[in-house]
Amino acid sequence: MQDGKVRWVMEALSRYEAALLRYAATLVDRAQAKDVVQETFLELCKAEREAVEGHLAAWLFTVCKHRAVDARRKAQRLRSLEDADVNEAPDSGPIQKLERRQTLSRVGVALEALPEREREALLLKLDGGLSYKEIAKIMGLSTSNVGFILHTAIKRIQREIARDSELPMRAAGRTS
Amino acid sequence: MSTAHEDPRVTDYALGELSGEELARFEAELAESELLREELAGVKSTLGALREELGSEPKPALDAPRRERIAEQASQGAPKPKRRLRAVAFAAMTVTAAAAGAMLFVTTQGRRAEVASVSMDKAEGKEKGTLGPGTAASAASSEDMPVVNQGQRFNRDAYDAFADNPFVRVATDPRSTFSIDVDTASYSLVRRHLRDGQLPPKGAVRIEEMINYFTYVYPEPTGDRPFSVSSEVGAAPWASGHRLLKLGLKGKHVAPADVPGTNLVFLVDTSGSMSDENKLPLLKQAFSLLVQQLDAVDRVSIVAYAGSAGTVLPPTPGDQRATILGALDRLSSGGSTNGGEGIQLAYELAKQGFVKGGVNRVLLATDGDFNVGVTSQSDLVDLVEKKAKTGVFLSVLGFGAGNFNDSTMEKLADKGNGNYAYIDTLNEAKKVLVEQATGTLMTIAKDVKIQIEFNPAEVSEFRLIGYENRVLSHHDFNDDKKDAGEIGADHTVTALYEIVPAGGAPTGPGNDPLKYQAPGTPTGKAARGELATVKLRYKQPAGSESQLIEVVVRDTDAKESDDFRFAAAVAELGMLLRDSPHKGSSSFADTVRLASSGELDERRREFVDLVRTAERLKR
Repeated sequence: MQDGKVRWVMEALSRYEAALLRYAATLVDRAQAKDVVQETFLELCKAEREAVEGHLAAWLFTVCKHRAVDARRKAQRLRSLEDADVNEAPDSGPIQKLERRQTLSRVGVALEALPEREREALLLKLDGGLSYKEIAKIMGLSTSNVGFILHTAIKRIQREIARDSELPMRAAGRTS
Repeated sequence: MSTAHEDPRVTDYALGELSGEELARFEAELAESELLREELAGVKSTLGALREELGSEPKPALDAPRRERIAEQASQGAPKPKRRLRAVAFAAMTVTAAAAGAMLFVTTQGRRAEVASVSMDKAEGKEKGTLGPGTAASAASSEDMPVVNQGQRFNRDAYDAFADNPFVRVATDPRSTFSIDVDTASYSLVRRHLRDGQLPPKGAVRIEEMINYFTYVYPEPTGDRPFSVSSEVGAAPWASGHRLLKLGLKGKHVAPADVPGTNLVFLVDTSGSMSDENKLPLLKQAFSLLVQQLDAVDRVSIVAYAGSAGTVLPPTPGDQRATILGALDRLSSGGSTNGGEGIQLAYELAKQGFVKGGVNRVLLATDGDFNVGVTSQSDLVDLVEKKAKTGVFLSVLGFGAGNFNDSTMEKLADKGNGNYAYIDTLNEAKKVLVEQATGTLMTIAKDVKIQIEFNPAEVSEFRLIGYENRVLSHHDFNDDKKDAGEIGADHTVTALYEIVPAGGAPTGPGNDPLKYQAPGTPTGKAARGELATVKLRYKQPAGSESQLIEVVVRDTDAKESDDFRFAAAVAELGMLLRDSPHKGSSSFADTVRLASSGELDERRREFVDLVRTAERLKR
């Protein structure tokens, strides 16, 4: 009966899940990111197809952002109740981070080292293929602000790449 | 007036976000300012590096339970259709399915619209207090949200990045050990990218697969040997003074009548993304070509996998073409992919139809994105490897673009004792499935490993061209437990080594001399004038003990053959596309000259055209 809808949702899922999971991981930890992305697609199931089609990517990233912000707030509340950092995601400790970095390329390392806001904008642009206007909406910024953040991020990575080619061992470092 | 370094318009322009007057003004400034142009080039190359990085990173995916939950929600609790595959002839199928989809949508729209608006109200209510109205879930209303530019859609093809094999000094390490590779997918992938007007990502360019896409003339094997080994040495066209060693393996010919029987299980991805003209329809044509080659002793089964996996055709004799083709025709696309379940089922059917001593093979046809369901990717690779030991091999046929998981596909075929081919045209399908049907399907030797020992009296350095992900440790060569590549009937496998002759200029600074050891002293055999000794180990398809072949290579200074120059030209194109540190003096123009210096068949002519295309794109 609902084959058309199922197909549409599942196609959207295969096309955007990786980008959304990566994006969500800039806002919450990796385990939560999966929940957030699942919720995003559950939301898509309930949405009216005609209202979403044409700007599916922007819709998905918007909802994803909201769910991620919710999840983060919830996690913070939980953490303050338990007043311990046992809630730290299993893959976000310094050693795990270091290990992950070792498997990444120079550019990957530079990308991970970006300030959250810059990384978020960059992923929305390059992975999500969204316009400045769409990114501005999702991040609650002005369009020109988005341009500026992206420019800063790209310049930062450009510097990192240039620096890394001189000092390959310091790849995990961060510019001050 | 800001300096170019702080001018965010450079980024805006590179991302295509400038328009109208702003764009015109910026372009005028760009024409004037060398500094601005430099800035732009820097930003563009950083963007390129970022895109490549994002494209080559492993892609996270949701797990099966989450996926199922979403699929369930999408069908809104409606009873699951008993069969996803409609019994309608394919040509009519696409049209009717589209129409049916639209009708269903209209009839249920009212109810669904209600559900949607309720949930969005809720979402908005929740968000408003915290994020402000400007950022609330207003994305659900279409008016103020610009249409997403399809052209900017991120290409999700996944390629593993790798570095070129380096030069090795014979004085410190005279040996080179690797597993053969008969895959050809990289060439088709490169061709697709170039025809689409873009340079392929470096990770997609595997030089050995490009070289092995073409067949070269090698002597037929004699005696009991499943393949022949031959070599040719000539000038390396891109580095003056360097030599090139071309090694060739040729699998014996097996007449179709001598094949004891073929048991094929088609494992077909019927997920929604497969509906494109160059995917499922092409796949059906390709398989019908293969089915024409079969007869009564052969067995064919079909498994489809999408949201769930199902048997479409139980093991059926190969001469019942109408039944087989009918089942193929009934395949239609829809739903997501659960490859893990599908592959289990396919192996089950392969066991049922097992032909002893014959070809038993699962042919996985997919556009990539292989969701492995409850098992992880490494479990899947383990499964494929385990099944290969029981005599059921796996071949992978890649289709389509934009969603393609090249690295997974190659790993699966590699572990499954199979081949991996990428099919972009019906011609390619014919090449892989019909002309080379016996080679593609009939394995005549497995775990074929090559170890070369270079003679320090003749060679100072060497470099294996390509085979980066096939390099083995030297001690793996004699370890029969170590898996390696397979060779099929009529297959040819070619490997190239770039060689710096003894006394030639070193390619790099090299190491300091050792403090506690003197370098090895040459044996009396080093003075024989031999360039190298090639050793090969292989096992019979059902065997577990390896056999050894040894061949001596000499540099005779003979004129290079047409095949030699053509293989060198293919390597050159690969190096240019990879921007390899070893590309030396090569250029696209040289590659064209080199490739066209011999006789060209249709495939080689196509290669020359591709080089010209690459040259245009690189400008």
